[in-house]
Amino acid sequence: MNELILTLKKEIIEVLNLEDLKPEDILDDAPLFGEGLGLDSIDALELIVLMEKNYGIKLNDPAQGRDVFRSIRVMAGYIQANRVK
Amino acid sequence: MAKKEVYIWAAGQISVQSPLSEAWMTEPLCYREPYVQAIDPDYKQYFAPNTLRRLGKILRRALLTSRRVMEETGIACPDAIITATGLGCIENTEIFLDALIREGEELLKPTHFMQSTHNTIGSLIAIDSSCHGYNTTYAHKGISFECALSDAFLQLSNGRIATALTGAHDEMTPDYFVLLKRMGYLGHAPNGFSGETAVSLLLGGHKRENALCRLQGIEFLYRPEKDDLQQSLGRLLQQSQCRMEDIDAVMTGYNGQEANDRVYTENCARLFPGKRLLHYKHLFGESYTASGLGVYAAAACLGRQSIPAHLFFHPGNREQQGVRHLLFYNQFENKNHSFILLSACGK
Amino acid sequence: MQKEIFVTGAGIVSATGINKQETLFALQENRTGIAPIRHLKTAHVEFPAGEVKRSNEELCRMLCIPETEITTRTSLLGMVAVREALAQASLLRKDGLRIALISGTTVGGMDKSEQYYLDFLENDTKNAYIATHDCGACTEMIADYFGLFSLVETISTACSSAANAIMTGAMLLREGKADVVVAGGCECITKFHLNGFNTLMILDRELCKPFDAHRAGLNLGEGAGYLVLETRESAQKRNANPLGRLSGYANTSDAFHQTASSPEGEGAFLSMRKALEEAQLNPEDISYINAHGTGTENNDLSEGIAIQRVFGDKIPPVSSTKSFTGHTTSAAGGVEAVISLLALQHHFIPVNLNFSTPMSELPFIPVTEKKPAAPLSHVLSNSFGFGGNDTSLIFSKI
Repeated sequence: MNELILTLKKEIIEVLNLEDLKPEDILDDAPLFGEGLGLDSIDALELIVLMEKNYGIKLNDPAQGRDVFRSIRVMAGYIQANRVK
Repeated sequence: MAKKEVYIWAAGQISVQSPLSEAWMTEPLCYREPYVQAIDPDYKQYFAPNTLRRLGKILRRALLTSRRVMEETGIACPDAIITATGLGCIENTEIFLDALIREGEELLKPTHFMQSTHNTIGSLIAIDSSCHGYNTTYAHKGISFECALSDAFLQLSNGRIATALTGAHDEMTPDYFVLLKRMGYLGHAPNGFSGETAVSLLLGGHKRENALCRLQGIEFLYRPEKDDLQQSLGRLLQQSQCRMEDIDAVMTGYNGQEANDRVYTENCARLFPGKRLLHYKHLFGESYTASGLGVYAAAACLGRQSIPAHLFFHPGNREQQGVRHLLFYNQFENKNHSFILLSACGK
Repeated sequence: MQKEIFVTGAGIVSATGINKQETLFALQENRTGIAPIRHLKTAHVEFPAGEVKRSNEELCRMLCIPETEITTRTSLLGMVAVREALAQASLLRKDGLRIALISGTTVGGMDKSEQYYLDFLENDTKNAYIATHDCGACTEMIADYFGLFSLVETISTACSSAANAIMTGAMLLREGKADVVVAGGCECITKFHLNGFNTLMILDRELCKPFDAHRAGLNLGEGAGYLVLETRESAQKRNANPLGRLSGYANTSDAFHQTASSPEGEGAFLSMRKALEEAQLNPEDISYINAHGTGTENNDLSEGIAIQRVFGDKIPPVSSTKSFTGHTTSAAGGVEAVISLLALQHHFIPVNLNFSTPMSELPFIPVTEKKPAAPLSHVLSNSFGFGGNDTSLIFSKI
């Protein structure tokens, strides 16, 4: 799980161009949207693409993303449970 | 109702010349290669990382030049944001298109699409400055900038708006340069090169201290017949209460490409016989909105009331002081033609 | 007193038909043009779309253009609609008039670019289509087909492009920069923006349901809509028969987000209110609102709230005709301007198809049933673009 969390942080930094951040700057339980990292609805869509591309998980409803992307830990948990790659 | 006088209060550029400066007037950079990209400043000095992370080059340049002229004039929210771009955010467009074609219709990235439309530029500036006013984008080849400037001019002179941020923005990717070369538009002569344009002008409906120049008027037309060009020029001079003999020089769009330059040579001889000609694309390169840089350069000359020697098209001219009126003539593929008259502010 | 702007011609092409008559029948018979994708070569056939029911070859034949000529689908759609508008206004020759063409588009020649992109990069076989890629090229192809225009401009503000073209046209007339203006927009469906909208997850797999609580996105459409505009004096001098008057217009910016509208619909609120001011009308004067109403969760909520803010407890009938045509993107402002004029002329309010469940957030529901004919005086048409480029137009009976 911790390894997945680290990988995920690196992937998110890359795909969202958060180049000023290092993986350790992203807290496992901090919210990704709004207050936390300050991500927005377009970032959520990018994360949906990331989930499908890297883990074979397809979310058809952006609303689902809101639950899955609450924090890195929640996201990693969801990926671990549902990944097909 | 009396028409209001329109002035260019401030102007800023990012191009193949030194960014955000008028260094090109005294120390112009010269290029020999056919494809040159703009010199970007270090954007991290100006923007927070979270602002920059999604913005492509064209957006960074537009945002920075806009903020510059807004800060310089103290206009935090202009009444209108009017943008010109020939190709829009072509870099993002290409990335999305390339992925679509090479990788198929799955797993494409929303950010690239979101930032592929032409109006992304004007919207970004509005979002950045929280301006809820008039906001539009013109995308018409080599006269995109004239369309935008004309819109601003008409609304400023009739008092519908009091300030307008008018921009000319085009980036050039290596791939699109190849396409333009295939089209025969660029890259075929030993002289002249493709550049990139980011110009922001802050225009106002009255004269104020430190304004660069007055924008007297603008005329443009499509596929002119017989005397249309003469008439259009005559109309502009008459409206501006200016005579041909008052014009100090004519700024032209010679770009080193034979087909383009021939039109200038023929039309300049016919329309402005004996006038001294200036050029700017030898410094800034060609792009769809290069005329924005041309007007910027003319405004900078009028602001200092001097024309550097290297702007004269024919050799043997020296720096000219005391410039009062500059006429700007632009044509694109001998189809679109435009005249813009700019005058020094004076006392 | 500002010069009055008359509409003396109108042309429309959309999924509902290739002229005003076909469009009118479809609207009055509640017949949508949205159907499974047939012409566009895409993997995403799961999305229904409002395609114009003609192939490029058929469009060329309609226009007497040789199929070998370099054209794009967007420009062909534009030519068909401009031709109808010019014919109605009896503008077949220049007659010494300065006629302007102000056209809105965003995808321009992308239909060909996405087909030939690799050729563009690798060889010289499709060079002619490189020149048709950009927005301006599309407008010039239309202009050159008619050979009437001495001023051409292209506006690209995404889904409000055509509405802004109409507004710009009116301002040019009022400043005496042209005698007659043909203004509107055109856009064909491309894989490029079908996929783009898909990445934003705002395409409905079913028929779109604007202003419905269970709305699930938009259906893409294509088409063109153009108006012939001139001053009252010019129309009278030319003996042109006016269809209506462009009485108000406003362009504002939501200044909120590149793809989302603000929760309070600020840009939409301002554009409607300023258009009313320009027309010197009160909210209660509006007989019908042709909404932007894309069917996305975000737009319809934001626009609905803005309507509520402008009209208070006197909200006029509202419908989105995108349930007939699909979202014709850059053409939408022109297509819906023509529909608004048809409504004014024929005294009917187009219904909002596929509606069943009211949105709990809004105090109104869209028009769902045909109403008995009642005279309409003023119609408000909204067009909102990505990035918050919001424009409202008001058309009035003469």
